[in-house]
Amino acid sequence: MLPVVALLAAALVAVVIASYLARRRVLVRMAEAAGRLGGDGVPKRSLEEGVARIEALATQRQSEGELVSETGLRFEAALSAMNGGTVICDHTGTEVYRNLAAQSFAEGRHGNALVEAAVVEGLAAARNGTGSSEQVELFGPPRRVMSVVARPLLRAGELVGAVAVIDDVSEARRLNDLRRDFVANVSHELRTPVGAISLLTETMTDETDPQTLVTMSQRVHGEAVRLQNLVEDLLDLSRTEGGHRSDDQVDVGEVVGRAVEQVSPLAAKRSIEVRWEPTPGVSMQGDATQIGSAVQNLLENAIKYSPEDSMVEVRVASSVDDVAIAVQDHGSGIPQADQERIFERFYRVDRGRSRSTGGTGLGLAIVRHVAENHGGSVELTSREGAGSTFTLCLARSPESHDDASTTPTRAPQ
Amino acid sequence: MDELRKSFQQDLTGVQNEIVKLAALVTEALPRATEALLSSDLTEAQRIIDEDDAMDLVSVNVEEACLRILTLQNPMASDMRAVVTAMKLNDEYERSGDLVSNICKGVRRLYGLELSPALRGLITQMSEEATRLLRLSVDAYVEGNAGLASALDDIDDRLDDLQQDYIQEIFDREDDSKNSLTLQQAVQLALLGRFYERIGDHAVNVGERVQYMVNGWLPEHSAVARQAMLSDDDAASPTAGSETAPDEQPPPVDSEG
Repeated sequence: MLPVVALLAAALVAVVIASYLARRRVLVRMAEAAGRLGGDGVPKRSLEEGVARIEALATQRQSEGELVSETGLRFEAALSAMNGGTVICDHTGTEVYRNLAAQSFAEGRHGNALVEAAVVEGLAAARNGTGSSEQVELFGPPRRVMSVVARPLLRAGELVGAVAVIDDVSEARRLNDLRRDFVANVSHELRTPVGAISLLTETMTDETDPQTLVTMSQRVHGEAVRLQNLVEDLLDLSRTEGGHRSDDQVDVGEVVGRAVEQVSPLAAKRSIEVRWEPTPGVSMQGDATQIGSAVQNLLENAIKYSPEDSMVEVRVASSVDDVAIAVQDHGSGIPQADQERIFERFYRVDRGRSRSTGGTGLGLAIVRHVAENHGGSVELTSREGAGSTFTLCLARSPESHDDASTTPTRAPQ
Repeated sequence: MDELRKSFQQDLTGVQNEIVKLAALVTEALPRATEALLSSDLTEAQRIIDEDDAMDLVSVNVEEACLRILTLQNPMASDMRAVVTAMKLNDEYERSGDLVSNICKGVRRLYGLELSPALRGLITQMSEEATRLLRLSVDAYVEGNAGLASALDDIDDRLDDLQQDYIQEIFDREDDSKNSLTLQQAVQLALLGRFYERIGDHAVNVGERVQYMVNGWLPEHSAVARQAMLSDDDAASPTAGSETAPDEQPPPVDSEG
């Protein structure tokens, strides 16, 4: 009997020990799992408490994961909404993200292929820890300047990838050029006549010959007139730039006729015929003085840049919403490269020639502002050697300008 | 097998992207060269000449990649045509790049010569047409658009006409005693026109090669067929002329295209 009891007792002890060891193993594994979930261990006594701890940690991680996932989605949505392109690669160079704006460059053609090449080079440089910044000038069409900036992505000082940002900086570049050129040009335009007057008057103080004095005073007068024209044009430009305009009923035919009459002495001097068929009954709401000044500027330009014994034509066309006034010359035309900039203040296609024609360099800038004040635009069609046509398109009334459904008038043929 | 196919497609896409990049380099350099010519900008002209090395590098890489595909992947039928087309296009665009460099060298040779507005206008138009042809040739290649590719020849007629007008304008200026050109200037100007015209021809060649890639047919195949027919006729009856017109378009080289 005794051996049986001893055997049972031994078996019982063995079962208790095995159960204890199994529980220890489970508790150790739970502690490891809790550690992986970011917890600081589980109570070592009760399995129930351990399970509860693991469940709590799992719930906490799940909500954190959802938060991270949501934040990631939000970032992705924000990057997709950006105008600039964004490309991200990991530390091996494998692309992991490309937003919507950057997708057009992937496997793009023409200029876009060169932007993509700059992105690839930039990301490679960024993965080497240097980063890069490049501007890609594209002749297109359309003509663009694209900026590609690449930077390394670091986490705790360790490289985890690289990001490249693509931006269209064409407008910023244009405005910067415009500002730089304006300051240089306005200084030059004012300095030239002032310098001439200064030198001439200095010479006149020592001059005794009456005939030379007359010639010099005529030249001083000429330079003073040039300065006066420049200041008047600057004031004109300032007025039109402010967007101020009266709102009268304008007879377009009458305004154009008056402008033709005003330029007729200049045209006669160069034996140029200004062909104009009066167009009665075309009227619009606007500022007659501004429109007349714009047409006169266009006509003066056409006459100045036409060969002698040639013809300048003026045509007017109208639709329900718009009026178009076209001035066509048969001069040397405007080079393609200058056509985009010709409406800038003081921009000169040919500096020497412009000065000899006596222009202030503000005429076309005034024309553009007049067009904008009247809800319209000024268009240029020109080919070197074949002449130019400037078309001033004006809205007939402020309502037709505001109405998005208006169809623009075609340039008169 | 699928892995091999995938690898081939990846390699071919890589080659195609490099050709598009090479073409983009040429397409962007051409209007820049024209602007340098019209503004006598020697610095910009030299910069474009220096950039030709970058085009040559891309071209050499494309050729090596194509040879690697041919050696390691042993492509067949339309795959083979795609690789051969890539090699041919590589040559056409690389040569176009050389012609752009030649235009820039012309800037140096013509430095100081004031071009008449008519000549400037014609140069601008030739440049625009040549650029347009280059861009369309790339579009035809990337899209595998045989219709557009075949239209390039007709579009090129406009560039040819402009070049004729340009040459005539040079002759007219020769007749103008006040503004006549030296013989050297006239030759240099005429060569410039020729460079633009040749760039257009290379774009047309690209179009023909794209047709070959898509259809397995080249315009030259018609000439070959006509020649073969004439030879057959001569063999059969040396005195009798051919009664039927030569076939305009022989069957494709293979039917996979």
